[in-house]
Amino acid sequence: MRTFRNVFRRKFRAFLTIFGITIGIFALVVMGSLAEKITLMVNGGTRFYADKVTLSQGANGGFSSSPISVDTIPRIQALDGVQLASASVGFTLNKDQGASFGMPDLVEGNDLRGRDLESFKLTYAQGRELEPTDEDKAVVGADMVKKLNARIGGTINVRGRDFTVVGILDKTLTVPDTTVDIPFKDAQSIFYNDLPDLVKSHLDPSKLATTLTIYPKPGVDPNQLAKEISDKYPEYNVIGPAKFQEQVTNSTRIFTAIVFGVALISLLVGGLSVINTMTMSVFERTREVGIRKSLGASDGRIVRQFLAESALIGALGGVTGLVLGWLLVMAANAAGASSGIQIFLLTPRLAVGSVGFAVLLGVVSGLYPSWHAARLNPVTALRYE
Amino acid sequence: MSDGNGGILKAVDLHKVYELGKDNLVHALRGASLTVRRGEMLAIMGPSGSGKSTIMHIMGCLDRPDRGEVWLDGHRVDNLKSGALNQVRSRDIGFIFQGFNLIPTFTATENVALAGEYAGLARRQAKAAAVKALRDIGLGDRLDHKPSELSGGQQQRVAIARALVNGPHIVLGDEPTGDLDTATSQEIIEMMRQINTDTGTSFVLVTHNPDVADACDRKVCMRDGLVTEEEVCT
Ligand SMILES: Nc1ncnc2c1ncn2[C@@H]1O[C@H](COP(=O)(O)OP(=O)(O)OP(=O)(O)O)[C@@H](O)[C@H]1O
Ligand SMILES: [Mg+2]
Repeated sequence: MRTFRNVFRRKFRAFLTIFGITIGIFALVVMGSLAEKITLMVNGGTRFYADKVTLSQGANGGFSSSPISVDTIPRIQALDGVQLASASVGFTLNKDQGASFGMPDLVEGNDLRGRDLESFKLTYAQGRELEPTDEDKAVVGADMVKKLNARIGGTINVRGRDFTVVGILDKTLTVPDTTVDIPFKDAQSIFYNDLPDLVKSHLDPSKLATTLTIYPKPGVDPNQLAKEISDKYPEYNVIGPAKFQEQVTNSTRIFTAIVFGVALISLLVGGLSVINTMTMSVFERTREVGIRKSLGASDGRIVRQFLAESALIGALGGVTGLVLGWLLVMAANAAGASSGIQIFLLTPRLAVGSVGFAVLLGVVSGLYPSWHAARLNPVTALRYE
Repeated sequence: MSDGNGGILKAVDLHKVYELGKDNLVHALRGASLTVRRGEMLAIMGPSGSGKSTIMHIMGCLDRPDRGEVWLDGHRVDNLKSGALNQVRSRDIGFIFQGFNLIPTFTATENVALAGEYAGLARRQAKAAAVKALRDIGLGDRLDHKPSELSGGQQQRVAIARALVNGPHIVLGDEPTGDLDTATSQEIIEMMRQINTDTGTSFVLVTHNPDVADACDRKVCMRDGLVTEEEVCT
C-alpha cells in the first residue's frame, strides 16, 4: 500500500512509465499467442508423425499433391520393418486455394486400412467415424462446423458434390480441426476430375493416392525406416518423425525470432523508462533516504523499498498489457470464428510468463537506482534540499 | 577509555575534515570533546559553520570522525560496522531535524511506525507503538493526516513522537525549532522538557534560539570546530 502510494506520488509520470511497459507486454502477449498457436499445431504434427513414416510425391520437400499409385503399396509392405501402408488422397477444400494465413482447409479420404494401428486417435463430439462401406458421407473437423454450416444428417458441399455429415470431431487444436474427411473412393474421383485433361489421360482414378502412411513393425525405429525407404525411392518425399521435426523447427524459428525480438524491444523501451523514472524518484527523494537512514534503515532495506516500487511498476504494466493483449486476442479470434480462422492462442504459461517477465524487468531496471539510493551518505542526503 | 562519570554520550577529541577540492580543506571539527550527562538537556550553540551539525551527526552515528572516539552508554560506537550502527541509530538514538523531516507520502502514524519497523518490530506492533506515541504527544486526532495536512508545530511533534517511539537513551535535535514561530517553538520546548522530566531521556539540542538554550540544563558553545564553555555565544 505504501509502495503503491510512493509509485503514484507523481501520477502522470507513473502512468507514462507503466504505459511503456504495457505496450511492450501487449506486443509480447499478442505475438506470443500467435507463436503458441503455431507451436500447438506443430505439436499436433509431432504427435501424428511420432511413430510412422509418410511418403508423398516430389523429393524436393514441401507438400505435393501429385499422385502416387496404390500399386506402390505392396512393394513397400514387402520391405523389412513395414507392418502396413495405407493410402490417402488429400487436397484443399477450395480448388483455387492461394496462399493463406494459418492452416488451409483440407479434404481427405483415407482407405482406413491403418485405422487400428493409428496412435493419433480422434474423438467425436457428435456422430460416428467413417466406415469403409460409406458413400457420400463426411466427418467434419471442429473448426469447419461453422464455416460449412454442418450438422449431423445435414449436407455439405465439397467441390460441387454433396455429402451427408455423419460425424463431428472434437477440437484437436491442430490439423484435423480444419479437415473434412470423406470416403477414399469419393476423394479419388473428385481429385481425378479436377486434374488437367492431359494428366487424366494416363491415370486410373481407382489407383490414385497423394500420400502413403507407413506403419513400422513394433520395435522398428521409424527414422531408420524412413531413411531406408527414402534410399529406395528417392523420387518420393519421405518423412519420418525426425525429418518432420527438422522441417518444423526451420519454419518456427522465424516466429521464435519475432517473439524474442518483441520481447527484447519491450525490455529495452520499458526497462529504460523504468530506470529513468526510478532514478528521478530516488533523486527527488534524497532527503527521504537520509531520514530513513537516520532511523536506522539498513542499505538492504533501502534497496528493497525501491526495488518493490519498480517491481510494482513492472507488475502494473504487465497486468494491463496482458489484459489489453487478451482483449485483442479474444476479439480477433471472435472475428475469425465464423471463418474458422483462429490464429491466436493465449496459454496460461504465456499469460503468467508475460507478467512475470514484466515484474522481472521492473526489478532489473530498479537495481541501479536502488543501489544508488542505498549508497547515499546519510548526512549528505539529509543536507540535500 | 571507560565511562566512569555518568556520561550517556561522549565525544573525545573529534576531528573531521571535508575536502572540497584540491588544496581546499574545511576543518569542520578540530579536536572537539563533549560529554552529555545521563538525563540532562544540553544546548549546543555557536555561530554558523562552527561544526554544530557535524558533531551532532558524528555523535549520532550518522557519520564517522576522521579521528577521535564516540562512546554511547559505556560502549565505543564510532568504529562499529555499519549493520551495528544501524541498530544503534534505530534503538538507542532519536533524531529531530529542522523542518521537512517527515516522509510526505506517509501518514503521521506511518511515519512514526517506520522507526519501530526499522528497530525490528512487526508492522502491527510498530503501528500500535506509533499510535500510542502520537497520543502521548497530543496528536491522537491527527493519526491519519499526511505531513502536508499538518501545521509546522504538529509536524515537529510527529517527529518528536518518531524520535521517542523506540525508547532511546538520547534524542539529538538539530535546530528543532528553526522553522517555527516563537509561540510554537515555546510549545515544542516545553514538550521536550516535559518528556525529559517524565522519562529521563537525555536531549542534545543544537540551536540558535536563546529561549531553547535557557530551557536546557546546560549549554555549551562551539567555535571553529571546538567545544567551549563560554557564557556569551554568538
Ligand atoms: N558535506 C560537506 N562538504 C564540505 N563541507 C562541509 C560539509 N558539511 C559541512 N561542511 C563544512 O563544515 C563546516 C561545519 O559545518 P556544520 O554544518 O557543522 O556547521 P553548523 O555549525 O551546523 O552551521 P549552521 O549553524 O549554519 O547549521 C562548515 O564550514 C561547512 O561548510
Ligand atoms: Mg547546522
